Amino acid sequence: MDESRRTFLGGVAGAGAYLLLGEAAAQDKPAAAPAQPAGTIANEAVKAEKHASMQYHSERPLTGSVAAHDHDFDVTPNERMFVRNNLLTPDLDAAQHRVTVKGLVDRELSFSVEDLKQRFPVVTLQGMLECAGSGRTNFQPRASGTAWGQTGGMGCPKWTGVRVADVLKAAGLKSGAAHVAGQGGDPGMIATAAPVIRSVPIAKSMDENTLLAWDMNGVPLPRVHGFPLRLVVPGWVGSASTKWVHTLTVLDAPFKGTYMTGSYVTPKFAIEPGQKMPPDTVSTQSWPVKSMITFPAQNARVKGAERITVRGRAWVGEGSIARVEISVDEGVTWQRARLAARGDPYAWRTFTFEYQPQRFGYLTFLARAWDERGNAQPMVSAWNPLGYFWNGVHRVGVLVEA
Amino acid sequence: MKLELGVALGLAASLAAAQAPDKLVSGPGATLTENKCKICHELEHIRRTPLSRGEWADNLKNMRERGAPMTDEEMAVILDYLAAYYGRDPAPPAAPDTLAGGGDPVARLLDAHACSGCHTLDQRVVGPSFREVAQRYASDAGAAARLAAKVRSGGQGAWGQVPMPPAPALSDDELLTLIGWVLSRK
Repeated sequence: MDESRRTFLGGVAGAGAYLLLGEAAAQDKPAAAPAQPAGTIANEAVKAEKHASMQYHSERPLTGSVAAHDHDFDVTPNERMFVRNNLLTPDLDAAQHRVTVKGLVDRELSFSVEDLKQRFPVVTLQGMLECAGSGRTNFQPRASGTAWGQTGGMGCPKWTGVRVADVLKAAGLKSGAAHVAGQGGDPGMIATAAPVIRSVPIAKSMDENTLLAWDMNGVPLPRVHGFPLRLVVPGWVGSASTKWVHTLTVLDAPFKGTYMTGSYVTPKFAIEPGQKMPPDTVSTQSWPVKSMITFPAQNARVKGAERITVRGRAWVGEGSIARVEISVDEGVTWQRARLAARGDPYAWRTFTFEYQPQRFGYLTFLARAWDERGNAQPMVSAWNPLGYFWNGVHRVGVLVEA
Repeated sequence: MKLELGVALGLAASLAAAQAPDKLVSGPGATLTENKCKICHELEHIRRTPLSRGEWADNLKNMRERGAPMTDEEMAVILDYLAAYYGRDPAPPAAPDTLAGGGDPVARLLDAHACSGCHTLDQRVVGPSFREVAQRYASDAGAAARLAAKVRSGGQGAWGQVPMPPAPALSDDELLTLIGWVLSRK
């Protein structure tokens, strides 16, 4: 017992407290991180279910993704799906969980996951989810928000659930129904944390590919991906696909909350890079056409005599991919890649391109996708203050060795 | 022997680095900025991208809408600090945080150990006000020791489910000063 502690105890606490504090102090271990709020899952438990190639960009909230060359799958495995929480990961009980449909409906309804399975047709589809800020670190100058890598922040798993349209029809949409707001059960660090609520226009909510899903690639949703129930709004910014969803509210207008007006917006017209958000904004919805090269990896070494099969994925938020082109001369000329057959409407598509290196040394591949409406990926996407919708041409360099 | 000493010193240095508190560049308003922002997220969120003053103003407005407990006056101090030290233009040299603590030893401790991010004398912010704490424990002879242990190791449940992070860097003398001061606020 050192002198300062003796002084402390003599000065403030009585003799009874002396023992108590001595005990408490002896048991103290230097705590590295704040305590885990009740009813939430620690990041370590989330990471234990993830692949070693996941790169984490922040702990509070937890965000992480894999690089392009770790994304070389036709269907994204759960352990490689990107993580983007706004708040904490809740520990929910599937047996107790309900989703309530309310607002502009004829009858308010509430379902357990089991109820949904019994009552409505169950569908499985592959669908693209991508954070609005995916690829944000490509923007120059840097833009505010999660520092997703050049290609991180997206994935395309298979989802099993029921159509939101079927659930809304069961509740009966009233006239004037314009948006459906999803709210999830993720708590914040503090009681004043605003709930994460995003709303989706009725047309997209009623699309047959928009789901209330409980399975991801044939197994129950991992907890960080929304267990036991989430919205899947494929092709749209990830924030539309509310995780841990417990309420769907049918509204006559877009939901007015910070996650609709302060975040997930872009300037209506182009602005000078590095400037603040102008008054005229639009809410982010579907992703523009995009692609990435998933093989070979950036800075890979390849043997000169071998033909290289460049492989990648292409997608667009609404519509379909028309073609993907590859350039081996920094975009001066382009050649068509082979595109796999179209699968589910919102699934990404694999492309391949056979290339025989003509010389030893450094070689680059650029991939550019086009949609069926004639939109192509730009070389550089328009700068915006929150760094959304990066869809610039992806470039991978390899070294061809003897 | 030399090698062992070197290893030991290296280990000590890496331990110190691992336990070093997350700090921003010192300047007027740095402490308030740290104490408000790190309630919910790590300070890397500030360091990762320099922003213009207008962008920081948008960011702070956004954070308050999302629930960050900041008064208008606190937000103005934080904006001035971030715009200067984490702006898109070159930053001024680091300077003492003249806005933290002042001459009062208790206020200095409350700022230095991030207490003031969540607690004030009279108003409930994230945690209870100091007056509420003093009143609850006014006739509890064992309260001082229990509170001291809780402040040092972190606590949860007495005032709600929001956990209070630990403050392991507080010395016994500092704990004495703080707990004595808090319990006499009744």
